[in-house]
Amino acid sequence: MRVGIDVGGTHTDAVILDGQAVIASTKVLTTQNVKDGVVNALDEILHESGVDRGKIDAVMIGTTQFTNAVIQRRELARTAIIRIALPSGELVPPMIDWPDDIAAELGRHTYMIHGGRTYDGFPIAPLSDEELDEAIDDIARKEIGLVAIAGVFSPSDPAQEEYVAARVRAKLPRVRVTASHSIGRMGLLERENAALLNASLLPLADMVVKSFAAALEDKQVECPFYISQNDGTLMSADFAAEFPALTFASGPTNSLRGASLLTDLDDAVVVDIGGTTSDIGVLQGGFPRQSNISIEVGGVRTNFRMPDIQAIGLGGGSIVRDEGSTIGPQSVGYRLVTESLVFGGDTLTATDIVVASGKADIGDHEKVAGLDASMVDKAVEKIHAMIDSGIDQMKSSRDPVPVILVGGGAVLISRSLKTASAVHRPEHSGVANAIGAANAQVGSETERIVSYRRIPRDTVLEEMTGELTSGLIRAGADPESVRIADIEETAISYLADESSRVRVKMVGDLSLVRRGKIQCR
Amino acid sequence: MSVTIAHTDIGDLCSGSVFLATGGGGDPYVSQILVEQALKKHGAVELVLLADIPDDAFVVAIGEVGAPTVSLEQLPIGTECLDVVDRFEAWTGRKITHIVSFEVGGANSVIPLIAAAAKKIPLIDGDGMGRALPEAQMMTFAIEGVRPTPAVAVDYAGGATYFDTADTLLYERQIRNIAMAMGGMVFTAEHPMTANEARRAIVPGTISFALQIGQTLNGNYGNARQVEAPLKALFEHSDYGILKHLYTGKIVDINRKIVGGFDVGEATIESVGGRAPPMTLSIKNEFLVATVAGKVKASVPDLITMVDHETSSPINSERIHYGQRVTVFGIGCPPHYRTERALKVVAPRAFGFDFDYQPIDTL
Repeated sequence: MRVGIDVGGTHTDAVILDGQAVIASTKVLTTQNVKDGVVNALDEILHESGVDRGKIDAVMIGTTQFTNAVIQRRELARTAIIRIALPSGELVPPMIDWPDDIAAELGRHTYMIHGGRTYDGFPIAPLSDEELDEAIDDIARKEIGLVAIAGVFSPSDPAQEEYVAARVRAKLPRVRVTASHSIGRMGLLERENAALLNASLLPLADMVVKSFAAALEDKQVECPFYISQNDGTLMSADFAAEFPALTFASGPTNSLRGASLLTDLDDAVVVDIGGTTSDIGVLQGGFPRQSNISIEVGGVRTNFRMPDIQAIGLGGGSIVRDEGSTIGPQSVGYRLVTESLVFGGDTLTATDIVVASGKADIGDHEKVAGLDASMVDKAVEKIHAMIDSGIDQMKSSRDPVPVILVGGGAVLISRSLKTASAVHRPEHSGVANAIGAANAQVGSETERIVSYRRIPRDTVLEEMTGELTSGLIRAGADPESVRIADIEETAISYLADESSRVRVKMVGDLSLVRRGKIQCR
Repeated sequence: MSVTIAHTDIGDLCSGSVFLATGGGGDPYVSQILVEQALKKHGAVELVLLADIPDDAFVVAIGEVGAPTVSLEQLPIGTECLDVVDRFEAWTGRKITHIVSFEVGGANSVIPLIAAAAKKIPLIDGDGMGRALPEAQMMTFAIEGVRPTPAVAVDYAGGATYFDTADTLLYERQIRNIAMAMGGMVFTAEHPMTANEARRAIVPGTISFALQIGQTLNGNYGNARQVEAPLKALFEHSDYGILKHLYTGKIVDINRKIVGGFDVGEATIESVGGRAPPMTLSIKNEFLVATVAGKVKASVPDLITMVDHETSSPINSERIHYGQRVTVFGIGCPPHYRTERALKVVAPRAFGFDFDYQPIDTL
């Protein structure tokens, strides 16, 4: 048996799964210290199910804590960046394109030093210890505890980043470092940004990972626990504490995976309607469709792989104005339970509209009995038109597609959708994220420097995928499910013979997960 | 009538120019940051119609030469464009009256604006390709017999190399080797032109057309299917004449190396559900040939452009990665490239392919 937990900004959800059967599920409030919320959720599901905690094989946790920290500009630590590139990039300093508010949180402590390598390995400029030490001394003077390091062409040759990291650690043993080659791909600005965001999240990551461990210890759940990454695979707790940025967008990934498992649909559009926004994503072959090139996280360009999500400003708390013709993007949010009409407040929200239309029983329907029927009808039409237009932008064919509605705001959709061939409202959709987390995959990556002149490319890829496949099966993956998630090739021309660095990532389902439709008891 | 390009236009200009770049030209993101900085600081740049340049004009082309993948990593210093103008004028002893982009595709459509803004030199609405192409002899300047030099190349170390050769192929060899030796990318001032040469050799109107494409792409947010109609209308009323949908699918293989100072490789796109045979794109900085099941669907000098299917944002070849969902469009080439003289240097055979150019409207 395994436990899936989703720690969101507002709610912490948990499920216990036996194979694909949901034994128990719950939704509790997330607490400031994270730990209490997880403890409460575990309490509820253990109590409800009466499951022996010794029978739990693994706990999988998805968390939006780190994404939220970036988006809401909170709990981000002051972080310095040392870029090894001068004279290259002099007028394009680190963080130049960052929104001011998030840059202020980290502090724009940017240091540019000479160094880096050209594509063929020639030094752009000599790296000087003197210049580096000046930067390190200044970081010490400002008492900055976190340092990101980015060097030109470090994915091809990480030596200079490693040298700078070692010197920072030697001089400032308590400072923590993220070197860009360990987290990002080609593209200096994006990789530098990823390293900066990651470093600024390290103190929060420590707190969050420790809270998870403490909560499990508290409830005497002694099995290993894993944390979901943005690509839907799992990482160990230690790894997550070092690379919290790899959790970005794991929330939508888990939600989409959960929706697929709850409906047994591999190809569908998933609409997750919350209090303030609706997130629309696309399932292709049971997995989220990935977004293109550069992904902004809280307005900062990065090159992480992430699901392609379209967020529209429509949720249960969306404020209705202009006689029902304008809905959102303003929302009463979590104050829905005090400010909406059905809960005795005086703000007309999307939830009030659904109750007035007789399609949902929430709060006191008497409170909306006096609303003008034609206004209500207009607003209901508008809600459906907004979701239809969102789906239309995301779906990949002209024809209507199966649509899966999840999230607390799914009640807003009461009529048929033009873009939908069928609308599915799976049971347990409120905890789709936690179910997705509990069904996360194992992934494995390998890297090689090869010369295609000496070994044909097909042979190299065949060997690498073969190795990874057997490794994943040993790690517990179901052989049938193993597939290539990513192939990345970087030419390293400083070596002769057209050498390339090839990185292959493969993923598979854990056999203990057993694929198939989630069953509800 | 005087038109200007302001910092607020640069986003659209960049999108439109990546669309015309047919995969090459370099990602304009960093250039965009530099150009926006320059235009905010120095004010808008005057965009002059080719027909309006005076008879005593002295026109010089400015841009970057090299392998686009390099600029994702090795950023420019940011002052190379000004430096190259200063050095060119000091060396030749002549004042540049008008700047022109030698390539409207990608970063090279906006880079000349840095120099134009800082030096208060007007920019001509036009360029030397109407698209992006990898080599100097493929520019309309060369095809129309304009001498490539005197030319100056400024490198990342702040050094300069001066060129004085009458032959475009030799100039191409020289500039390419300097670019390779100097980190894969240099900034050049080259192809000085008299007014008469400029009127003959420049593809007119391409900067403002790129701006219009950008406005269309950014204004009709939606997937490639939704933006196809407005794009078609735009191209049909231009010198390009035609825009055709060629393929929609997922990148299943991308194989790319830096060879001889170019990005060289191949991308394979598979249709969703694998119902149609895959499309192969041959790349040398730009997308040169698109084939499906051995049949050519489009080839140089016609334009082959790839966009992200969902957002319609155009994709540079160095940004292609496994799993992307893309749509490929084919576009007719500007009339400058349809002459026999031009086809000798820009048709598929000029790139080593063993077949003749067939205009896209006949395929």
